[in-house]
Formats: sequence, structure tokens, C-alpha cells
Amino acid sequence: MLLECTLLIGFGGAFLVYLLGKISARVRDFFAILLSVVLVVLVSLMYRTPGIELTYFSFLDYPLRLKMDWISWFFGIAVVSINLFAMIFSLSDMNHKKRVDLFYLLMLLVNAGMLGVVFSGDLISFYIYWEIMSWSTFLLISFKKEGWSAGLKYIILSIIGSFSMLVGMLVIYSQLGTFNISAIMEQMHTLSPGYIFSTLLLFSISFGIKNALMPLHTWLPDAYTESESPFSAVISGMLTRMGIYGFLLILFVIIGLGRYLEVGSGGYSFILSWLGAITIIMGTFIALLQNDAKKLLAWHGIGQGGYMILGIAYGSSLAVAGGIFHTLNHAIYIVLLYFSVGAVEYRTHTRDLNSLGGIIKKMPIAFMGALLGISGLIGVPLTNGFVSKWLLYKSLILNHSPFLAFAALIGTWGTILSVYKFLHNMFLGQLPEKYSNIKRAPFSMQFPIIVFSFTIILFGVLPGIPLNIIGKMMENMGFASMQVNIWGIVTEMGTLNTVNIFFAIILVVFGIYILYRIGFRSKRVTQEDTYAAGHPAPRDKYAYTSEFYAPLFREMKPIFREWVSIFFEKIVKFGGTLSDTIRKIYVGDLGTYVLYIVLFLAFLLILRMGWNLW
Amino acid sequence: MVILLIVGSIVIGFMVGVLFLGFSRKIKARIHWRYGPPLYQPIIDIVKLFHQESVSHGFLFDFGILLSLGGAIVTLLFIPIGNIVPLHGSGGLLVVLYLMLIAPLGIALSSVEAANPNVSIGISRKFILALGYEIPFLLVALSVMTNYGTTSFVEIVELQRASHWGIISMPLSGIALLLILPVMMGMKPFDQVGAPQEISSGPEVEYGGIYLALSKIQHIYLIFIDIALFVALFMGGGSEPLTFFMKMLPIFLIVLLISTVYPRFRIEQAFNYCIKWPTIIAFLGLLLVIWR
Repeated sequence: MLLECTLLIGFGGAFLVYLLGKISARVRDFFAILLSVVLVVLVSLMYRTPGIELTYFSFLDYPLRLKMDWISWFFGIAVVSINLFAMIFSLSDMNHKKRVDLFYLLMLLVNAGMLGVVFSGDLISFYIYWEIMSWSTFLLISFKKEGWSAGLKYIILSIIGSFSMLVGMLVIYSQLGTFNISAIMEQMHTLSPGYIFSTLLLFSISFGIKNALMPLHTWLPDAYTESESPFSAVISGMLTRMGIYGFLLILFVIIGLGRYLEVGSGGYSFILSWLGAITIIMGTFIALLQNDAKKLLAWHGIGQGGYMILGIAYGSSLAVAGGIFHTLNHAIYIVLLYFSVGAVEYRTHTRDLNSLGGIIKKMPIAFMGALLGISGLIGVPLTNGFVSKWLLYKSLILNHSPFLAFAALIGTWGTILSVYKFLHNMFLGQLPEKYSNIKRAPFSMQFPIIVFSFTIILFGVLPGIPLNIIGKMMENMGFASMQVNIWGIVTEMGTLNTVNIFFAIILVVFGIYILYRIGFRSKRVTQEDTYAAGHPAPRDKYAYTSEFYAPLFREMKPIFREWVSIFFEKIVKFGGTLSDTIRKIYVGDLGTYVLYIVLFLAFLLILRMGWNLW
Repeated sequence: MVILLIVGSIVIGFMVGVLFLGFSRKIKARIHWRYGPPLYQPIIDIVKLFHQESVSHGFLFDFGILLSLGGAIVTLLFIPIGNIVPLHGSGGLLVVLYLMLIAPLGIALSSVEAANPNVSIGISRKFILALGYEIPFLLVALSVMTNYGTTSFVEIVELQRASHWGIISMPLSGIALLLILPVMMGMKPFDQVGAPQEISSGPEVEYGGIYLALSKIQHIYLIFIDIALFVALFMGGGSEPLTFFMKMLPIFLIVLLISTVYPRFRIEQAFNYCIKWPTIIAFLGLLLVIWR
């Protein structure tokens, strides 16, 4: 009952908000927030009742089904929570922009579509909601004029993915005669390995495109960059990660852990893991070269997606737990980062990392959000990203895959470099004259930033809260249960105790603080009052921001390029040249056409004579 | 008991670090045909700095330096100094790899709140250099963890004591770590970060008084941690602190002698040095470990 209601409210409410927008902007805003809150409440209420499955609709006597298990709940609650805060953020971000009604409608449609995807109990429903989600996303990416080509790129790849998924569904249906996920689960063992492999491959293409797995990632950087900030948060936080949900569904629910690890005698898992590892390295290091704040984060979105794929594809219980947990953690910090960038862009009207700087004193809350966000992204201990990465590394090292572990670890160091540049060039260093009068972000922007900052610390110090649910998910997917308690994780391979680390750091920093108070004899001076070795640095002249890692860039630029995009561009160019050559046949002169016909007839005659000209 | 261990290792780390620093100034002076300052000169410097007036550029300026020193000290608590390991059951070597990053990150956050371009240049160099030495360092750490099949620091040391030193079972990895130790410690050929003649000490340029003191203490701890890592991973640690220090001393001497005779590299040269031989040797070391 609750399930159908949630979807009905999700979809119906979206259109209601659109219609209300025609009456009054205030009423629309109020209802949009109310709807988002209601959805959060409804999904939270389902916490007590996982494990239901029901038929909600019969289409041509085919029962369409919904399911609710821990996997659905986990993704569902993440989807609606992020949607709520994105809506709150859009209150001021979308203020005074055009076509806001449409924006709200599409945002809520994407949200409802994602809910539908995670609640689907059969593949037909899954496909329908997947398409609703993809098409609303397309409209949202191309919402601004500049986003048109980004949207086109997205939808072309998305259609390829959809068709691939459709063929995969038909393969399953032709063999098993059902679309029902739980029925497929039971009968999957009757399929031959070849069929399992082709299903896996087809679905992997679709979910790989959605999750921007290299080499299927080309749509993502532009799509994240050109969207409005609240939607950038949604698309990076949860929408892209529907690919992870899809991978979990196909690998561990439909095909099953045991059979998955046997496909291609383990080769499939190996290749998918390595694709994940390559995605990590290329994604994070290309991010280092970016100068647009949102594009930098977008490339990190690709790179961090690699961690999730690596964890899930690797298939050991710790790695999968790490991959799933990282999906949640990534959603939290990337949303926070997009909110912070959005707030800065709202006030300064730019996100160019070479022209910003020094606005920490002007926008302290946005700075705090960015600082905690990048800490989570790096995985600094006591932030959430650390725990999930720790699980992943540990599993990779102890299962003797040190090279995969190396790829994952070096990705982290690449991340440090690029996010420090991100933080430094936006908030630290010299404050340009033109930004000396900017104000703080409005409250509706600061509130989501504060909430997500708090969550990063909470899940970093007490990772047991989400890990508890992830443990239940893992049992649903056929893994052995994990030993989780509130402060961390206990395995036969070793323990992680974040509360210990937390208290150690608190104790030590407090101790140093006392020391510091004893010797405290400092006076506050302005930012420009610096020591410059006899060469006073005039304002606006010596900000060291552009080409922040110039010596490194010279080494990196030849290697870390968007090879896949370059390849696609080459293909496009080749296609253009080819068509251009063919076009030259049509000269537009009647005599030449007659000549073509005569020549062709002559050719036919010669053919008829069997090449015997004399 | 744990509190006692924590205080113990903090004090020991500081004292030994200071001793090393004083010792290094003495040795350097003798190589230069000078007499040199007394062994306890670093302590005199720090006490003096605590009494000087200083300027602060804002909240982050204060907080970052505290975080930096805090990070350095917490890292120390994970490293087995002889039999003293205050936090042995909380994550092991993987956590150390991550905690080692808090100290430079704290400095990076603190110092750039002042609008001094020298600071930004220094920090940018620090991160480039860090990327350079982390590539071989991670390969070395992974080969150690793979070789002993554990991520726990204490177990790694115990396993070495049961058989033989890590440098014997993993010679290539040991050599690679030795090659990048000067880079990690920021000693002479690799002191681009704080190059005094080029960028007026880089990140430290705005620090005075207590800030400079805390920054110096942090540096002392980092030097201690880097050498202690080598001793614990490749020289079997020590059964009690004293043997541990005796093992640290020759390693420090090697790095010191290199640093006294070499002039500073440019930052590209330093980065290229890191990703060339140390990385190749560390990679071969990892292959060797897997192959066995």
C-alpha cells in the first residue's frame, strides 16, 4: 500500500507542483518542499517493512510488480533525502530564473523516476522508470542554452544503454519466459554460461554508461557542468549511481554472487575491476587539469564511480560493502561540494578557478562545506569517505590484488592535489578587489550545506549506522553477515575503530591547544599584511592560482587526455570526410548522370559476357 | 595505561627528534669545518619562539597549525616505537598512510590564509613532491602488506622478529624506500618546499613566534615518523625503545650525509627523480613479492 502511494504521490505531486506554479510562485515552492518532505517520511516509514513484493498494475494481463527490500530502501532513502535538500537549495538558486515551473516538474519527475527504478519488482517496470528518469534528465541537462550539446551527448549514450538493456531483457525473456525479478532469480541456474555472459555484458553496457565507467563516460563532464547547481547535486549524488544499483541488481540479485564470479572463469570480474581501476586513475588525474570548479568535481565523479565499480566487481564481501558504502558517502560529499560551488557561483557569478580566490572570510559556511566535502572526497580519517575506502583497500590487499589496491590508493593522492587546488583557488589566497563586497549565501543555501557537513562527520566517526543497513543488504544479496558495531567494523582480517582515532585526535589537539594558549601572543592582522622579502606584493597582481601545479602539468598533459572523446571526435571527422567524398558524385550535371548510366550498362553487359570481351 | 603510553610516545618522539636535529646541525657544521651549535640548540630555539610575539591572519591560520601538529602526533601513536604502540588495534598501516597526510594538509590550510604568493608556491611544490614520493612509497607499503599478509603494524614487526628483517626478504622495496626517504623528509636536495633563498621559506614565511614553534615541532615529529617507518617496516623494529633508536640513527646519518653535500634540485627534477628509479625499483619489488 505504502509503496504504490509513494510512487503515486511522487509522480502526481510533480505535475501538481507544475500546475500550482502557474498560479503562484510561493505556493509552488511551498508544495515542492512539502512533497519532498512527505516522500522522505513515506520512505522512512518503510524501514520496518522490507521484504514485501506486490502486483500494482496489470498491463495486457502482464502483472507489473513492485518490491521493497533493503537494497531498495537504502537507495530509496538516499534518493529522497538528496532530492529534499536539492529542492531547498533551488529555492534561492532558481529564484529570478526563467521556466522555474518546468525545472521543478523535471526535478520531481527525476526523483520519482529514480524511486520507481529502485522499487521495481520486474524488468518491464524497471525499464519504464529508467526511461522516465533518463528523459527528464536529458531535459534538465539541456535546461540552459549552453547545455544543449551536453544534453545531446547524454541522451545518445543513454539511448544506446537503454537498447542494450532492452536486448538483455529480451534474452532473459526468451529463455525464461518471465520479467519478474524474483522468478528470474530462481530460474537463473537453468541458463547456460553463454547466456549468462551475454546478459551480463548487455546490462553492464547500460549500467556502465549510467555510472560513467570508462570508456563509456564521455557524457558526464559536460552534463554535470552545464546543469543548474541543484540538479548537478542530484545527478552526481544519486542519478549517476543508479548505475551502481543496476550493477548490484544484475550481479548479485539476478545472476547471483557464485555464478557471477564464475563467468568467463573469473575473467569478467577481473576485467570489470580493472576498468574500475583505470576509471579511478584517469578520472582523478584529468580532474587535476580542470579549471572549472564544477568540471573538476565532475571528473572526480567519474573517478569515484571507479571506486564503487571496483568494489562491487571485485566481489569479496568487504569490497562489496566498501563499494556500496562509498556510493552513499560519495553522494553525501559530492552533493555538499556542488552546493558549496553553487553558493559561490550564486554570489560571484563565476566558477572559474583562475579568477576566484580568498573568499573564505566572505562566505565562511560555504568554505566549511567545501572543506569537509573535500576531506570526505580524499577520505581523511574521521570523515565518511575514509571508512569505505579503508574497507576497499583492506579487501584488495588481503586478497592479493596489490596492483588494484595501488590504483585505488594513488587515485586518492591525485584527489588531494586537485581538491586542494579547488579549495585554494576558490576560498584561500588573495581576495580579488572585485569580490570585496560579496555577501554570504542565503539561508536556504546554507542550511543544506550545514546538514550535509554534519552527516560527513557523523558517518565518519560512527560508520556503524549506515554499515548496519549495508550488512542487511549484503545478507539479501547472499553474502555472509558482517560483524558491525556502532564505531566500526570487526572482521577476521582486522578491525577499524574510528572512535578511538576520534578521541586520540581530540585529545591531542586539545593538548596542543592548551600549549598554544600558554604561548598565545599573536595579534590579528589583515590578509594583505604579509612578509614579502622587501618586495611588497600589490593586490590583485600576485595571486598564485592559475596553473597551480604548472611543473606537474607539463609532465601529465600528454598522458592524461580525454582519449575516448578524442577517438569519438576522430570518428566524427572521418564520417564527415567520407560523406563529403561520396557527395562529390552528385555533380548536378545531367550529361554526367547519363554517362553514369551508360557506364553502368556497359559494366552489366561486360558482366553478362563473362568478361570475354573478344 | 593507554594515556600513559600516549604521553610516553609523544615525549619520546619529541626528545629523539630534537636530538636528531641537534645532531644533524653538529655533523653539518663539522663537514663545513665549523664548530656548530650545542646538541640542545633546537630546544633553545623553540623556547625562544614561544616567548616571541606573532601575527595571525585569521581562524584557519590558527586552526590549521593545530591540526597539522595534531595529525603528526596522532600518526606517531600508530607506529610501534619498540614495544610502545598506544593505538595498536585501530586500523594499522593503512590508517598511517592516510594520517600522514593530515600534517601537510594542516599547514597547507593554515598558511594560505595570508595572501602571500610565496606560500602558495611552496604549497603547490609540496603537493607535487608528495605525489612524486607517494607513488613509490605506496608500492613499497603494498609490497610489505602483501608479503606479510596483514595490514597491522604490530604484526608486521612481530613477523620480522620471528624470521628475519624485511630488508632481507624484500631487498628491492627496502632500497626504494631508502631512496625516497630524503624526499619524504624534505632534506636538502629535495627542500624545494621551504627553499629559503627562492621563496622565503615557502609555507613558513608568515609564521612567527608560536606558529613557527608549532611548525618546527611538527617537522621534528615528521622526521621521526619517516625514519621510524623504515625501521619498523624493514629493520625489524625493536624490542624496546633504545634498540629502536639505535637502528634509526644510521638511517638518519645516511640521509644527512646526502643532504649536506647536494645542492637543491628544481621541482621538476625532484618529481622526475621520484617517478623514475625509486618507482621502478619499488615496482620490481612488488612483483618479486607476488611472484614468490
